[in-house]
Amino acid sequence: MSAARPLDFDAARADLDATARRSGALLTGVAAADAFDAAPEGRRPGDVLPRARSVFVLGGAQPRAGDWASPNYQHMEVTTTSDRIQTIALKMAHVIEDRYGYYAVCVPPGVDRGQQPFVSIALAAELAGCGSRSLAGPVLHHEYGFMYYAAIVTTLPLPANRPLDAPACPAPECVDMYAEAGTTPCLKACPIEDGGCLGGRIEDARVAERRYDAARCATRVQNYWVPGFQHALKETLKEPDPEKQKMMLFSSLFTRTLWSMTYSNVSQGQCAECMRVCPVGSARRRKQ
Amino acid sequence: MADPEPVQQTRRIKEFALAAGADVVGIADPRRWDEHVPEGCRPDDILPRAASVVVVGTRGPTAGAWRSPDHRVMEVNGYDFRNDAAIHRVADLIEHDYDRYAIQAPGLPTAGHLPPFSMMLAAVLAGLGTRSLAANIILNPKYGLLYYSACITTLELEPDPMLEQDVCPHRMCVESYRRFGKTPCLAACPVEEGGCLDGSIDADGRIDHSYYDRERCVSRAMNFGINSFQKALADIVAEADAERRDTMIHSDFFSRSCSAITHYKESVAQCFECMRVCPIGRAERKLQ
Repeated sequence: MSAARPLDFDAARADLDATARRSGALLTGVAAADAFDAAPEGRRPGDVLPRARSVFVLGGAQPRAGDWASPNYQHMEVTTTSDRIQTIALKMAHVIEDRYGYYAVCVPPGVDRGQQPFVSIALAAELAGCGSRSLAGPVLHHEYGFMYYAAIVTTLPLPANRPLDAPACPAPECVDMYAEAGTTPCLKACPIEDGGCLGGRIEDARVAERRYDAARCATRVQNYWVPGFQHALKETLKEPDPEKQKMMLFSSLFTRTLWSMTYSNVSQGQCAECMRVCPVGSARRRKQ
Repeated sequence: MADPEPVQQTRRIKEFALAAGADVVGIADPRRWDEHVPEGCRPDDILPRAASVVVVGTRGPTAGAWRSPDHRVMEVNGYDFRNDAAIHRVADLIEHDYDRYAIQAPGLPTAGHLPPFSMMLAAVLAGLGTRSLAANIILNPKYGLLYYSACITTLELEPDPMLEQDVCPHRMCVESYRRFGKTPCLAACPVEEGGCLDGSIDADGRIDHSYYDRERCVSRAMNFGINSFQKALADIVAEADAERRDTMIHSDFFSRSCSAITHYKESVAQCFECMRVCPIGRAERKLQ
């Protein structure tokens, strides 16, 4: 990089988009770092990297059409994670620093104290125009539907995208279904009034209200990851009979909770039913 | 079949390693291990007829991650396994294109706390760095702290010379030691004030002696990993009050300990303070 020549930020953006896609990302977007007003203080890009100007967002690594088609629902539990997109993001952070000489830091995929994200990657994806929040919760892309996202905070002032003008959710089919039946495929799959996690209302073809029972969802989605392990451990230690306790330690549940925490590529989420019925991106999930 | 000339194949393998993500690459002659480690820990003990050891180093955290005011960012995001990925590709290339055995050298402990093969020693013997006052971390003259992986192979390659000049102490640190009796790393974590490091520099500006309290360092650097998990689990199992035990299991501390032992890109170390103040490689971490 020549110090004498000013950097062409449009060209840098095009180069980063192309590099990320070549590396396996399905889509990219950029959010301005100062657009995160909706995030609480301490959880904004500048809190992760001083003088942050942009947040480069990558999307992809979603379950393949074949994964969705598998009649064995446990297949999805052990093969799809956000790891792949995070790996690309870690590489892209180095690319930004090495190629353009600006600071870049990946938003950690884990959580900070109190189980709070460092910076909401979902909000970053929305602000970068990669998708919009759905009734079911995940950020959905018009064409691809559900996917995993990763984000890089950088001091590089990249040309930013805007949030989508028209949200990806509700899909026209869902608007029609709601008008007829008062529900949508995702709300029907997991109705909050019937022991499920999701509720909501559509008005003028837009989501007017969204209800999501996160605690209930976690007990169903995270059966075999850290929360599953904690639960299994709690029950095992509670057991006074040593023989029974030993059986619990070697049980399928306990074994799988341990597998899911190790380097065995077990997904952190074991329920994808609201996404399975979602029409957004469903065309991409159909193959021969 | 690739060119059999050691000089040319060495050049090709080095270029390949750099393209695969390594920041530095060096080659060591396996006979160099003889004077440093006992039988059983030498390249030939791991791969019979070992003829060369290829060592790669990668930077791990981005310059942006070093600048983050939230120290947790480095804890969760510091390490991206690029060195392992690069060395696997090198090993694949050697077996595929040169028809010689090649394995990733085992860097993790298989019994006790000692690895079967020291990556630190491999990096020194491959001419990539020298030991430092800061916890004996191997510092590379250009980048400072690096993460290393090695490949042991039966392929004959041209070894690199070991570094003739010590990387640590930096001349700035020699000056600081002469004025204040401390270097930046020793001042950051002084053993006489409850820290982990001590040492002295002789009249020639070389390390005279160094002291590193590994146990103390582990208790600080590894707050969320296998060690903290074991400690927390021991406390949980010993807790007689079931209600208190449940609280401990679902505490932030135990949740983060569990998260840290998963393949969730959590770092295995949570203290970088001796490296944060180290002047070696600092120029590489200064960006826009």
